[in-house]
Amino acid sequence: MSLIEFDKVSFGYEQTPILKDLTLSVQTNSFWAIIGPNGSGKSTFLSLLSGHIKPQQGVVCVDQQVVTTLNTSQRAQKISLVRQEFIPVFGYSVFETVMMARYVRQSKRLFENAADREAVRAALEATDTLNFAERPLGHLSGGERQRVFIARALAQETPILLLDEPTSHLDLKHQIKIFDLLKQMQIQQGKTILLVTHDINLAVQYCDRVLLLGSDEAFFEGPPEQVLDSGRVESIFGVQGYQGRIQEEKFFVPLGQFSKDRPE
Amino acid sequence: MPTLLLAVILCGCAKEPEPSQPQADTQMRIISMAPNLTEILFVLGVDDEIVGVTKYSTYPPQAKEITSIGTFWQPDIEAVLMCKPTLVLTLGFEQQTTLAHRLEKIGCETQSLDIESISGLYEALSVIGSKVNKSEQAQKLVSAIQNKQKELTDRYASSDKIKVLWVVQRQPLRVAGTKTFANELIEIAGGINAISDTINVYPPIGNEEFIGSMPDVIIEPSMDSEQIQTQKATAREFYQRFSVVPAVANDRIYVIDGDLASRLGPRLAEAMQKVADCLRPEGEE
Amino acid sequence: MTLTPQKLVLRSILAGVVLLGVMAACVWIGSQDVSLADVLKGPGVEGSPNIQYIIFMQERLPRICLAAIVGAALACAGVVFQAILRNPLADPYILGVSSGAGLGSIVAVLFSGTVIYGRIAGHFSWIAEATGMSSLMIMAFVGAMLTVWLVWVIGRVTGRTHVTGLLLAGVVVNAFFSALIMFLLSIARARQLQSTMFWLMGHMMLPENPLMVWFSGGVVLLGIVCLLMLGNSLNILSFGSDDAQSLGVPVKRTCFLAFGCAALITSVAVSLSGLIGFVGLVVPHAVRLVVGPDHRLLIPLSAIAGASFLVVADTIARVIIAPAILPVGVITALVGGPFFLILLIRYTKNIQWGPA
Repeated sequence: MSLIEFDKVSFGYEQTPILKDLTLSVQTNSFWAIIGPNGSGKSTFLSLLSGHIKPQQGVVCVDQQVVTTLNTSQRAQKISLVRQEFIPVFGYSVFETVMMARYVRQSKRLFENAADREAVRAALEATDTLNFAERPLGHLSGGERQRVFIARALAQETPILLLDEPTSHLDLKHQIKIFDLLKQMQIQQGKTILLVTHDINLAVQYCDRVLLLGSDEAFFEGPPEQVLDSGRVESIFGVQGYQGRIQEEKFFVPLGQFSKDRPE
Repeated sequence: MPTLLLAVILCGCAKEPEPSQPQADTQMRIISMAPNLTEILFVLGVDDEIVGVTKYSTYPPQAKEITSIGTFWQPDIEAVLMCKPTLVLTLGFEQQTTLAHRLEKIGCETQSLDIESISGLYEALSVIGSKVNKSEQAQKLVSAIQNKQKELTDRYASSDKIKVLWVVQRQPLRVAGTKTFANELIEIAGGINAISDTINVYPPIGNEEFIGSMPDVIIEPSMDSEQIQTQKATAREFYQRFSVVPAVANDRIYVIDGDLASRLGPRLAEAMQKVADCLRPEGEE
Repeated sequence: MTLTPQKLVLRSILAGVVLLGVMAACVWIGSQDVSLADVLKGPGVEGSPNIQYIIFMQERLPRICLAAIVGAALACAGVVFQAILRNPLADPYILGVSSGAGLGSIVAVLFSGTVIYGRIAGHFSWIAEATGMSSLMIMAFVGAMLTVWLVWVIGRVTGRTHVTGLLLAGVVVNAFFSALIMFLLSIARARQLQSTMFWLMGHMMLPENPLMVWFSGGVVLLGIVCLLMLGNSLNILSFGSDDAQSLGVPVKRTCFLAFGCAALITSVAVSLSGLIGFVGLVVPHAVRLVVGPDHRLLIPLSAIAGASFLVVADTIARVIIAPAILPVGVITALVGGPFFLILLIRYTKNIQWGPA
């Protein structure tokens, strides 16, 4: 039984349709990558899924319930969202930041209890950020901060985790670290993860399924290999590419005007 | 008494024969930039040579007929020029000095007067008197007022000083300080300002200071000459919270005509008497 | 690590004790000499009342309480506006309260003689009589609340995000109302002008009816408690409304409540005291630099700190050129400005205002 269902979902602004008749099912405990050129609707997809915006046609269901019929609190108990890290205006510490995820579990309580503190501690440990629990966010590096935001999503204890390009501006080491962390969360904690990313190769390495969105309303979803083999990546991105394989891992390299291996 | 004096002076002016030799400019065209200057010009008998006055020059009533050239804190230079003045009388503060400078540049004669105190008034009267060729009348007026001042000062020289608060504004509570001409009026009438020296000329004071000063008499110059009775009624209500103070306990709150009391002008003698009457009603010593 | 109820209560009590100490000290300072011995002698008899007693009970004590109430309201509102707008430079007046209150008060002063105003005011004279507040105060309150409502409505319609909408609306309304104020001031008689200018600079006026001091205090206290309950939500809101929403905070409702409470207590403060600047801007920062950004601690402690600050400032304003008084806003600006600068320099290494 699928956890998330998109049923003929359409959405657009003014004259520009972004998504049309999008239909897919996300199984529990799967790890999806959402890939596509800018403007293809990746962020819109996440917003529809989290209930931020309403589809103009069609229905988005989470756990057999239409997302837009849930109130803010109910949604926050099912879905957590990680965006690109930033430094907040006021100097909250790592611990305080992650503790904010417990709001939805606290109902009307003004103060956190032992269970909350334990959840935060566990989340910090899982993301390897426990060492700087007392430091203000502004004192961390980008990669460390991104892990803190992921820790916050972890502490929210939701079955579904959405991420919007969490690694685009991080260096290689931190990118891999975060993908490893997410995979761990899928395996060890049974989370369902949907990740918008520009990095095709990492997506292919780590994810079970890929959703490829095109600039028109086209979309294609399937296992990563199938998506790569179909040739759609080249056509949707408008690039020429080279597909290769190292033992188990498939990879894709786009070729530009000055690439040495570009076919004539 | 003072009105009689004024009448005598005015009659004196009327009896004055017109000068037989015409002067270089036949008629003066005078503009007055303040209500008290207007009053002075009328008293000196040159009212038919006035071509422009400020908006609130309401005394004497004939002054209201004259063209208005703006208010004394916001004069309208265009209106002033339209009147083609030969002489413009101004007071000494910012907006008017700027106006005066500009008029001087165009070649119009201006006379700036500093009327901040009673002695300043005497001096101004002499200066204006000589400017409009009415020095004698001016001198008569000065003498009349000086006589009145001496009369009152002598009468109350040995009496107990009565503490007076001269309230110019209720919210915030603001009184005339020791450096004002209102203070001079109080002292001439045998009183003393209930407030001690302050940096401000018209200091705002708090309720605490009001009570602490324990005035025997409160004098309020009215905002509007027509509203004296209304102001009296609201005054009684307003000062209720200070009922511990002798002025309120004994109902010694007086509202006097603001145009008379707040203007340093020819009716000063009348103003002095009025204040004296407030301090000692029915001529008590 | 994080805040416990015990920590909050303990620190609040400590701060409260300091406030009481400050109030107890300042109540004996003033332009008139009033000592404890004087006051203990009692009110005196019919013919010879005890002046010191009357000054103390009728003027000094209520004034100190009023200063505390206004200071608490302004500081607390400052904290909340800074959180909602995610802007460290926000103060309680930023969204129209100042120009609204100013406009209301000027209308009250300028038109109090006219017939139309008299007719309208006549309908509401029972309010003035019941509360013992002057028309200036009532109009200031009405002006502030109406303007805030206007800003809220405009803000909802414009702007891509809620916060941008509010800020834009606030700027526009402030600019327009300020222009109106300038116009009215220019046609005013010199005397009326002085009265309004002084009040605008921040001058605490005691209402005729002493019950109003209690009532205002009650309203402000209620507002502060409501805002304290929103403390958690405000913490999260300061991360951005998108973040807050995905964490389960009902953003619109929280903003509305917080905004409404903060605007209410600010309007009460302004109606009693004119526009006193710096309290709502400086005190939240000073307290934040000491106890951190958690609003559950920040709100009560800023209220108490603001109260102390204003009590001291008001006392100085009334003593420094005695027997004349200065508008208290002058003192808060003179003291608040450099104080803020020093704090900022000393602690700036701990704070990051934006992206590095």
